[in-house]
Amino acid sequence: MIVNNNLHFRQSNITSIKLILFLVISIFFLIIDNKLELSNKVRENASYLISPIYKIAEVPVEIYYNIKTHIESKNSLIKKNESLEKKIFIQSGIIQKIPSLKEENKRLKKLLNSSNSAMSSKILIAELIKVNLSPFSNKIVLDKGSENNIFVGQVVIDSLGILGQVSEVNNDFSVATLITDPGHALLAVNARTEKRIVISGTGDNRFLKAKFISLNEDVMEGDILITSGLDNIFPEGYMIGQISKINKNLQEDFLEVNVTPSSSLSSNREVMLLW
Amino acid sequence: MVIFSKMNFVVIVALFLGIILNILPFSDNINSIKPPILLLILIYWSLAFPNQINLTYAFVSGLIMDVLLIMPLGYNALCYTITIFLILLYYPQIRLQSSLNKMLSLLLILIPFFLMSTIGNNFLKINYNLFDVLTSIFISVIIWPTLFSMLRFIRQKYIS
Repeated sequence: MIVNNNLHFRQSNITSIKLILFLVISIFFLIIDNKLELSNKVRENASYLISPIYKIAEVPVEIYYNIKTHIESKNSLIKKNESLEKKIFIQSGIIQKIPSLKEENKRLKKLLNSSNSAMSSKILIAELIKVNLSPFSNKIVLDKGSENNIFVGQVVIDSLGILGQVSEVNNDFSVATLITDPGHALLAVNARTEKRIVISGTGDNRFLKAKFISLNEDVMEGDILITSGLDNIFPEGYMIGQISKINKNLQEDFLEVNVTPSSSLSSNREVMLLW
Repeated sequence: MVIFSKMNFVVIVALFLGIILNILPFSDNINSIKPPILLLILIYWSLAFPNQINLTYAFVSGLIMDVLLIMPLGYNALCYTITIFLILLYYPQIRLQSSLNKMLSLLLILIPFFLMSTIGNNFLKINYNLFDVLTSIFISVIIWPTLFSMLRFIRQKYIS
């Protein structure tokens, strides 16, 4: 009995030592993680272990999509095909004008003595790895990594607008931070007034916040915001979103402006990476 | 010795399944109220084998979760360690309780987890919805009896 008691005592002693040790380690990690980006480094070195786990977690979704495409009736596929063909027809009609517009733009810019902004030369389509990150994180995992020459700060867009930028590159997957992340901000331009606006994320995928707009500035609901190209990360002229709500409070220094992002931030399966 | 390693193997497989379940893609609505399933599985095993499945398991699986979920390192490790420590303190009492009481004590044990994750969210400026976090904790209490009997079935079949 005495021996047992001693054993029990020793066990609990070890447990409390472990508790203190682990608590200290994890708090230490939490504090230095921000500066050293510790978890990024761990992921970088362990990417061979991590991506198989992501792949396994993806399997049920893949099966679901496969079954869905299998079951999808011929009629609906034909309909879908027709509508897509129509869409491509219209869009290629619009694209016809682009070369001439480009030339015109160049000429006008020369007249104005402004620097010529080059269009991005290469586009790579990346698929999203469909894993669930923590519910409140505004990050997505892409299936392309340093093997495809992806770099940190690369711009991620979808067909409707800017999604975010690559924040971490690993061997065969990379992580992109969405523009709705609370720590993310970018410089936009109001397409109507050519005024610059700082836009930062809120953590909520449904809206962004436009900051530091003085009370008497000319903004209206429905104004379209595009990237300015002044932040040296996002190229000029891509859609960010539309101003959806303006709240004017005379006690505050600035207007409270909500922006609805134009890209579909939470329902993409494929995204584009720009060079 | 053989039993020991077999038990470890079963537990590690169960924890791995828990990790997969945790990162399994769902729609956004479900995702925000998803219970911390890995933690629940850990709680079960540390109730069953408190001497073997201890804080080391909790800490390591928390770190794995941090790496997989792209969160700051140490966030889940901290929460898991504290929760499993509470289990190690109170497992003799919890084991004897009826299943309804077990649910209640799980609720009590998850409260520090909830507090720690909320404090962590505020400290790290992670955006979160308080109502969703609370809902996920209630859901985990509700699914606890089912999970418990499932894991007990596995334990009885493969370990003892």
